[in-house]
Amino acid sequence: MRVRRLLGAACAFAGVLPFAAAAQDIKVGFPMILSGPGALSGEPALRGAEMLVEEVNAAGGVLNGRKLRLIARDTKGAADEAVRVAREMILKDEVNFLVGTFTSAEGPAVSPIAKENQIVFIAPVTKTDQLTAPDKLHPYVFRTASTTTIEGRSAAELAAKLPNVKRVATMTQDYAYGQDTAKAFLDHLKKLRPDIEVVDQQWPKLGEADYTPFINAQMAKKPDAVFSSLWGGHFVTFAKQAKPLGYFDAIKNNFIGAGEAGAIETAKAMGSDYPAGIWANSYDISNWESGPQSHKDYIARLRKFTKDENPSSWPITGYVAMQALVAGIKKANSIDSDKVAKALLDITFDAPTGQITLRGKDHNANRGQFWGLMVMDPKYPFAVMAEANYLEPTKFMD
Amino acid sequence: MEPSFIFGQFVGGLTAAMTLFLIASGLSLIFGVLRVLNFAHGSFYMIGAYLAWQIVQWIGPGGEGFWLAVLGAAVGVAVLGGVIERLLLRHLYRREELYQLLFTYALVLVIADMAKLVWGTQQFGVSRPPSLAGSFQVFDTTVPHYNLFLVLLGPAIALGFWYFLNRTRTGRMIRAAALDREMLGTLGANVDRLYTGMFMLGSFLAGLGGALVTPIKSIIPGMDVAIIVEAFIVVVIGGLGSFWGTFFGAIIYGQVLSFGILIFPRFSSFAVFALMAAVLILRPWGLFGRPISR
Repeated sequence: MRVRRLLGAACAFAGVLPFAAAAQDIKVGFPMILSGPGALSGEPALRGAEMLVEEVNAAGGVLNGRKLRLIARDTKGAADEAVRVAREMILKDEVNFLVGTFTSAEGPAVSPIAKENQIVFIAPVTKTDQLTAPDKLHPYVFRTASTTTIEGRSAAELAAKLPNVKRVATMTQDYAYGQDTAKAFLDHLKKLRPDIEVVDQQWPKLGEADYTPFINAQMAKKPDAVFSSLWGGHFVTFAKQAKPLGYFDAIKNNFIGAGEAGAIETAKAMGSDYPAGIWANSYDISNWESGPQSHKDYIARLRKFTKDENPSSWPITGYVAMQALVAGIKKANSIDSDKVAKALLDITFDAPTGQITLRGKDHNANRGQFWGLMVMDPKYPFAVMAEANYLEPTKFMD
Repeated sequence: MEPSFIFGQFVGGLTAAMTLFLIASGLSLIFGVLRVLNFAHGSFYMIGAYLAWQIVQWIGPGGEGFWLAVLGAAVGVAVLGGVIERLLLRHLYRREELYQLLFTYALVLVIADMAKLVWGTQQFGVSRPPSLAGSFQVFDTTVPHYNLFLVLLGPAIALGFWYFLNRTRTGRMIRAAALDREMLGTLGANVDRLYTGMFMLGSFLAGLGGALVTPIKSIIPGMDVAIIVEAFIVVVIGGLGSFWGTFFGAIIYGQVLSFGILIFPRFSSFAVFALMAAVLILRPWGLFGRPISR
């Protein structure tokens, strides 16, 4: 009798064993743009997440030695595909958490999936305010990205200080992100400088190949400053066409390029064609001399990890989002999404750029960006951000 | 509205039109002779751009080596096209058009992934050659030299092709092949070689277009699919297989896009698509094409 029970227990134990071993890993689903034009930002964002996972696992993992495992899937930059892979990762891969999505279309599409499956979902890049708008907010969605409100208002602060600016125009894409940033910028600017007149707004479509008609039409309105949120390759194409037409000279370089126009990827792609003298932002810079030691250490590790002396500005998005998740798991001392979601409210953790808090009231992080004047520096074969300023965004968030 | 502004829009539209013409003309030529609607034409254009960047990196950026890179890229793409025609496409001529379409679509996916494997997902850029880096003023409008070069290149290529197709022996054979492949073969002409040559020529134009746009556009994954849509609109408006149709189709496309934003500022592409829809309904064979009879 005793033997049989012992045998039974052994069988049960053996049966449980592989599951127990598998359950050791904490699985994080990472839906991200890994093909098409968006991949040039999505791939490095994934690299950042991978770097954090490697660091955490090398230090012994979380919750008494449980390792993190990242499961990345390509969303192809499409909302429906992002929803499909998110569902698949939850059902088939049985991921414990979701961190990822890129565009302002993908993030809000995946959020309801997280709600429905009661799984914590952290968006590292999606900026649209709609992701965490009061009617869309639920206990499981969080954002460590900046927001369109933060970005537009930061740009407005800059524009308000430009000398001799009376006539302002915008050049933003005709979809959620472009519309939201333009609105946030103009609303805030009108408060800061009621004397400024909005003389023109151009709305090229997302993926426009020929900006010349928009550039000419805008120059005809004679603005003396322009706000743009053209991002990635879109900005490169735009600036390559605008510069020879004398666009940047006509507005005396009073151009404020949101949408990471100051990203190192963009500067590298353009080399000496970059319209030096404009103002632009970026998620990260590798030459932040006045920055904290934590950022210098992070850049040093990133250089090693990516084997790139001037590393991409996007890894920090994936890195910080994963940092938030790890902080949440540690605080909850559990991988139960309900407990982690509660732990994430008002949680504070040390990101490379300084302390970040996920606000309990709207689940957004006080995630700022670097803003600065883009100049050609003889030390580099491409434009770099001079006197880069990390804009602490808390005051712009409400 | 100031005249200088109208002139600026006109030149802008013309620049866009002539680059598009380079690409669409290859598409139209291949269809005109081989009767293959080549979806992968945009992929050849993308490879042309990547190759031009690659060659510029090898010979050192910023110099007149740009022209060598353009030529090298176009020739490289022509060779790629030749290999694809010889080894793969050749076996599909006698199949239904649907299979050819599916095949060229598969090529789009394969080439896109190959490009990603070789060049990654980063964006690249190429500077304008120093000889054409400047600009000049006409009617208070700044016209970059490089844009003027593109505007002049279009008609030059169109005239060259007109001469080639109408005044040379090879041109006559090509036109004959377009009309009746079997008859030409029976008469002793090497139709296989003619087809390969035509496909290489079309690919050359795509590669040339891709290489020449590098100073005004960013080189990114996905540029293949974006351009093929525009090229299709141009050939549909002008008439599939008609060379001059493609030329004027491109000009119409460029100008409608350029001036369209004045009428519908937020629906810039609406006017173009509306025009294409109208053409398809009223003249399905295009403004300058002829109805296809078989």
